[in-house]
Amino acid sequence: MKKYLARRAVYAVVTLLGVSLSIFVILRILPGDPLVAILGVEGHARMMPADRVRIMADLGLSDPLPVQYVRWLRDIAVGRLGKSFFRGDTVADLISHRGPISAEIGVLALVVSWLVGLPVGILSAFKPNSLPDGVARMLSILFIAIPGFWLGMLIVLASLFWFGYKTPIIIVHAWEAPWQNLQIVIGPAVVLGLAQGAYIARMSRSCLLEVISEDFVRTARAKGLREGVVVMRHALPNALLPVITISGVLLGFVLGGSVAVEQAFGVPGLGRALVIAVIERDIIVVQNLVLLYAVIFVVVNVLVDLSYAWLDPRIRYS
Amino acid sequence: MRDILRELARFARRNTLSAAGGLVGMAIIFVALAAPLLAPRDPLKADFRRMNKPPDAQSLLGTDQVGRDTLSRVIYGARTSLFVAFSAVVLGTTVGSLWGVACGYLRGRFDLYSQRVMEILQSFPDLILAMAISMAIGTGLQAVIFAIAVTRIPFGGRVIRSVALSVREMPYVEAGRASGASALRVMTFHVLPQCVAPYLVLATTHLGAAIVIEAALGFLGVGVPPPTPTWGNMLADSITALVPPWWLAFFPGLAITVTVLAFNLLGDGIRDTLDPRLSPAFLRMMAGGRRA
Repeated sequence: MKKYLARRAVYAVVTLLGVSLSIFVILRILPGDPLVAILGVEGHARMMPADRVRIMADLGLSDPLPVQYVRWLRDIAVGRLGKSFFRGDTVADLISHRGPISAEIGVLALVVSWLVGLPVGILSAFKPNSLPDGVARMLSILFIAIPGFWLGMLIVLASLFWFGYKTPIIIVHAWEAPWQNLQIVIGPAVVLGLAQGAYIARMSRSCLLEVISEDFVRTARAKGLREGVVVMRHALPNALLPVITISGVLLGFVLGGSVAVEQAFGVPGLGRALVIAVIERDIIVVQNLVLLYAVIFVVVNVLVDLSYAWLDPRIRYS
Repeated sequence: MRDILRELARFARRNTLSAAGGLVGMAIIFVALAAPLLAPRDPLKADFRRMNKPPDAQSLLGTDQVGRDTLSRVIYGARTSLFVAFSAVVLGTTVGSLWGVACGYLRGRFDLYSQRVMEILQSFPDLILAMAISMAIGTGLQAVIFAIAVTRIPFGGRVIRSVALSVREMPYVEAGRASGASALRVMTFHVLPQCVAPYLVLATTHLGAAIVIEAALGFLGVGVPPPTPTWGNMLADSITALVPPWWLAFFPGLAITVTVLAFNLLGDGIRDTLDPRLSPAFLRMMAGGRRA
């Protein structure tokens, strides 16, 4: 296990270095002059050459690119993430202030997806091709197709009409006012959770059906165990492994989707901050936030792999 | 011709839902192509006498803040959305697949490094990668297409690579090699044809995802720039109002959902029919990656 852990960790670090390098390349080299990226072509043309040079130097953008890249990595290592061009708040502040809300949404979405998806999947697999199974499958196809941000918009609209709901403007952390905080995060979490829940229901159904046709399940039935015990105690644990894996992949949907869903609900989370930064072409903020999202995605997938190896020892030897 | 029809009929009998999805998808493609004939008004023309009108006889789906006809905009939106999604999927899947063939056939160092690159590409959530790329190369139709295409590359690369890996071991490929054909020739004439079916499957299954990413980019204000009507832009426009009119928020989203649903259903059916290798169990293995 230790060796496996070390190997996965090394892979993850190499991947993340590659990730940081590609973010750097996309944001610094592709647009040519970073000032053009920030100010747009016209704004850039209107500026005095001397001003351009001064601003570039101020931002540390006039150094050679490799130097800039290495400095960025070093800054990350010491936790200094740079500043927004337009607002003067540091990226670290942004993350510590807005991050918790987005993290809550992500975790809650994952909880919702399992709470909804797994029971539905089990129910479906119990009686395949029955009416409840058909309904469950139709619903999961539907929820996979509905864009989360649209569902979010509709929910916000409906609550505006019927409950006089107002979109949250200020950030309320869970440790300050748990009830208000829950009101902010519950909408996005449920919307994101339902879409992922649909995948989990689909996956757990097909995995359970696969496992149920295996010999050891027949043995369990032949012993005279009740069907409920056969499925829950014997089949389910074996069917869960792939579902756990898919959960790691689904996290990518949650991370990406949350950006749009936060916008739909007007939640002042990290996703909103990223969208604003992209629109304002605030490359220092974009570069760090995109890296943060990728780091979370990679780290969680490593954790998923590890839990997988821990649950199924055969993996480690392959 | 009759054979094709018979095959199609068989497909429809076995996969009723997919066939329905295919029909709806074709209808949407038709609407997109015939938009100028079908749209009752000019989608860009403001009419300040008729602003924020709910659906009525004159404008079946209502009008927006500047009096543009929602129905016409939804119809023209189909054009942009489908064009972007199709181009992005074709571009991304093709590049990914060719790369995958090369990886699977050549193996060795090239394959190793390519796999790392694809892993890096897959370390970004799709939407976030697309946002970053389209920001870097400037917003516009081509930028959005390119950005979405990049997010599709690793999927094509991984699946087609595994196909190529198994095809390269087949006797006829070995025979080709033994008769002195160059690697390029073997790849083009012997390996590539085997990848057509999985390629089609991949392309259809990713259409829905591409449409959603395009709409999300538009919704976030970083997609195809206005005034071009796209479903995502329309949704973004609708929430600028303090109390958004329901028809502006509802119909463009409904169009996205129906389109994605149709292509997803079609993709599922094509996958089950054309290539059992791409069954859910197989894709799960690919997603998990490391299962023996």
